[in-house]
Amino acid sequence: MNTVGYKIKKGILYLLLIILALLCLLPFLLMMINSTRSGVEITTGFTFIPSSHLKENWEQLFKFVNLFRGMGNSLLVAVPATILCGYFSSITAYALAMYKFKGNKLIFIVNVLFMMIPAQLSLIGFYNLCMTLGLVNSYIPLIIPAVAAPGTVFFLRQYVQATLSPALIEAARIDGAGELRIFHKIVFPIMIPGVATMSIGAFIGNWNNYLTPLILLNNPEKMTLPVMISTLNAATDLQSNQGAIYLGVAISVIPILISFCFFSKYIISSISAGGVKE
Amino acid sequence: MKLKKVVSALLVSTMLLSCVACGNNKNTDDANKDNNDTKTPNTEAADDNNTPDDSADATGDGKLVIWTLAADLEQFAEKYMESHDVEVETVVIEPANYPTKVQTALNGGQTEPDIIVGEPQMLEDFFDAGYFEDLNQAPYNAQDYADQIVDYVWEVGQDADGIQRAISYQITPAGFYYRRDIAQEVFGTEDPEEIGKLFKDYPTILETAKTLKDKGYRIFASDGELNFFSGNTAWVVDNKLTVSEQRYAYMDLCVELYKQDLTAYAAQWSTPWYQAMSGPVPVLTADSDVNVWDATEFASATEGGATTEIFAYGLPAWGVLTMRDNVGETSGKWGVCAGPTYGFSGGTYIGISSNSERKDTAWDFLKFCTLNEETADWWIEKSEGDTVSLLSALEKHKDDGNEVYGGQHLYSFWLEQAEGLDYSVVTRYDTAIGNAWSNAITAIKTDEKSKEDAIAGFYDEVEATYPELTIERE
Repeated sequence: MNTVGYKIKKGILYLLLIILALLCLLPFLLMMINSTRSGVEITTGFTFIPSSHLKENWEQLFKFVNLFRGMGNSLLVAVPATILCGYFSSITAYALAMYKFKGNKLIFIVNVLFMMIPAQLSLIGFYNLCMTLGLVNSYIPLIIPAVAAPGTVFFLRQYVQATLSPALIEAARIDGAGELRIFHKIVFPIMIPGVATMSIGAFIGNWNNYLTPLILLNNPEKMTLPVMISTLNAATDLQSNQGAIYLGVAISVIPILISFCFFSKYIISSISAGGVKE
Repeated sequence: MKLKKVVSALLVSTMLLSCVACGNNKNTDDANKDNNDTKTPNTEAADDNNTPDDSADATGDGKLVIWTLAADLEQFAEKYMESHDVEVETVVIEPANYPTKVQTALNGGQTEPDIIVGEPQMLEDFFDAGYFEDLNQAPYNAQDYADQIVDYVWEVGQDADGIQRAISYQITPAGFYYRRDIAQEVFGTEDPEEIGKLFKDYPTILETAKTLKDKGYRIFASDGELNFFSGNTAWVVDNKLTVSEQRYAYMDLCVELYKQDLTAYAAQWSTPWYQAMSGPVPVLTADSDVNVWDATEFASATEGGATTEIFAYGLPAWGVLTMRDNVGETSGKWGVCAGPTYGFSGGTYIGISSNSERKDTAWDFLKFCTLNEETADWWIEKSEGDTVSLLSALEKHKDDGNEVYGGQHLYSFWLEQAEGLDYSVVTRYDTAIGNAWSNAITAIKTDEKSKEDAIAGFYDEVEATYPELTIERE
């Protein structure tokens, strides 16, 4: 095994991976560095040496928006939406994968079809619906629709089929457990790695969601983070805001990093995990 | 094993970061790049005049909601609250998504916002859709104020039927910003009047450019500097496409500037374009295949090469602020002169939403922003050089010198430029036709097509876009 050829191959492989990682991480490093530079510095050049304008950028940023308020608002939307998405998608996926009933296939096909429709298409209709229901300028239309997530259902259905053995459920039924109890006590824990993987995606999606909150939220107090940061673009003197925009974006990435650290062990295990121990 | 862990951690963060990356790259330059000169709302019949709504301020809750795309209005709102017992809520929305936001809300019949705004190129659609309240009717009677505001601003704010629907607090005529020290050295004068003569028509600009190149300077950083001066003859007369001599002259100038290496080939709003404001920049030629948006690549590609200084920038009145922040050590060495034609770009036009339930307060705020001399005085000071549209304020500040521009009296200069604008030649076809024309110019200068082919292509494009126009090919 430990021949020179093997070591060289391995070396090349790691080198490539490291280059790839650097390629992806570099823009983020630049974002951090740019958040310490003034607008004029940013537009006139590019460097890896942090500058001294962090404080001015911070002041400029907070002169325009209350970023922590935006962060709170974003959490208020993203956390419930993620939980709803994870729970309801997994229960749907379980039903589609494990129960045999008429129309199962049809529901699944419809589900796949809906995956292909971009959400932006229905935006105006969605707005008018919210208008009629009196839900404009509230978080409900941002949270509740997370219940229906065809992409997540699709992924989890495949996941359940691959990991969950019907014998497990049959055993629980023989022991007298109700269907909901089976789901909560047995199926859901097995699905957690898959749910966590999808939840990260859902959380990031909700956290970064821009168009829907932009259209639905009218009160500056209620704006979510991406909408708030985008308002910095509206200044007359755009250039002086460049540093502040970078800083705002840098700060807004932090919760995603934290949530990722929390979920990351599930991601890794869900990629490698199998199902029932044979 | 440890290495494996490190690498997997790196990979995982890569995956995460690429997820993150999707969400946050909004086009921050959108607002800046909006260098369309004469775009306007008009000629389209607006059939949906909203009937006067007598229930103005039906809510009577002492509130006012403003949706704006320029943060300026936030400052106006704060100023307004100081002297009025009204709670103003300002929502700032980025310009790229402003029309979407306003359209969905107003189509849905929302009664808020009360104040909406628009840039000239958005106004036509907004007027057609009936979002803006008719300001000529009682109780506003906006026509009574017509002689207090610079004429062209007044006309931009009118719909096709000449009904006043929006008013702007600023004027945005275009001019050339030039280096006085270079002018002195090359032309022996730095007087704006005299330098203006070097820009008086397109052939003269070409001569000026050649003179400057012989002395080691470049006339412009990019050939986009001429965008604001691309011609002031009507594209469409009596429903017939008209390409005047002036348009051909403009085309020839753009092509020559490019082919004879008379500019520095820095794209507008790119890094070297900004750099050139404060001093020498490397010389690029049309053939050098350098990505000017990437500063490292740019620096290494041009290292050790010749450098040059840029003589002039063509920008609207708000360019005063851009220049101020970027001139660095050349501050005080700049001057502003007139271009070959009159032109303007941008400006925030304020109007009242026709759905509003607080129209009285909204009108009061609108008057406060646009027709109040005290506000204009305050804004001139607060914005450090923005040019207001109120004639009496411009008159009052006509002798104010601006130090960045060697103490030049900019307010009287901009007023002169604004008064020269002939708004009657602007038609609703201008944007599309203008773009087709500049596409043709680009095709010629990069040798993609011959002049004949490019012009034929231009006619084809206009014909396909506007079948209703009569087109006579030459």
